[in-house]
Amino acid sequence: MNADTNEKSLPALRPATDILERADGYWVYMDMPGVNREDLVLDLRENELAVSGKTRGLPSEKERFLEVQFGSGEFRQTIALPDIVDRGGIKATLKNGVLELFMPKVARVQPRRIDIQAG
Amino acid sequence: MVLDFNTLYSFPDRFDRLMQEFLRPVNGESRRMAYPPLNISEDDGNVYVRAEIPGTDIKDMEITLTDKTLVIKGERKPEQGKYFRQERPAGPFQRVVQLNVQVDRDAVKAALSDGILTVTLPKTEDIKPRRVSIDVG
Repeated sequence: MNADTNEKSLPALRPATDILERADGYWVYMDMPGVNREDLVLDLRENELAVSGKTRGLPSEKERFLEVQFGSGEFRQTIALPDIVDRGGIKATLKNGVLELFMPKVARVQPRRIDIQAG
Repeated sequence: MVLDFNTLYSFPDRFDRLMQEFLRPVNGESRRMAYPPLNISEDDGNVYVRAEIPGTDIKDMEITLTDKTLVIKGERKPEQGKYFRQERPAGPFQRVVQLNVQVDRDAVKAALSDGILTVTLPKTEDIKPRRVSIDVG
């Protein structure tokens, strides 16, 4: 396949990443313009989540380029997962070239009121 | 690179990988350019302007074409929450492209897919290369 021969020559790109916390858990946003859903690979390992995605090649070879400020490549990023992330509940959405990861906190970390038994 | 917002654990291979990051040649990141980055190309029939604008809906962008100028305008809204790390650009952006050829204004098309905006500007008929056959008398 053509993609295999190209693999070595694709430059590695690091996606711009936002990590933020909201009441329900952690949200990670990665800019991956040009990456299609089929080309995105999410690998959940023991303590980390590896993300990689190749951009689709430029459409036509007949075009002459006058200005080139971005190119194709392979986005790669690894995120360490803290223990309070519920691994089973991680959700990923790719929309408009942005990967959104939702990592819920495990239930025991969520604040809970402790009832006091009358003795 | 490993993004870590977990301060309690350290992995033996993390330092190695960090070193690799330092050793890797800096590509593009050192030369910051105007946002969003543009690719401009042409073939015989069209001029193509492509821009990397992830996370913005085409409805939130304003693409205008004056006589020989294409303007791409929009805004990237930041997410709400407590930030651990913020690298993605946010805020209003604008790029102006001067076109050096006449384009057919009514046939200009814009499409957004996977965060890449493509504006296709067809060249007007009278500037397209044409083959003229000359009869040898």
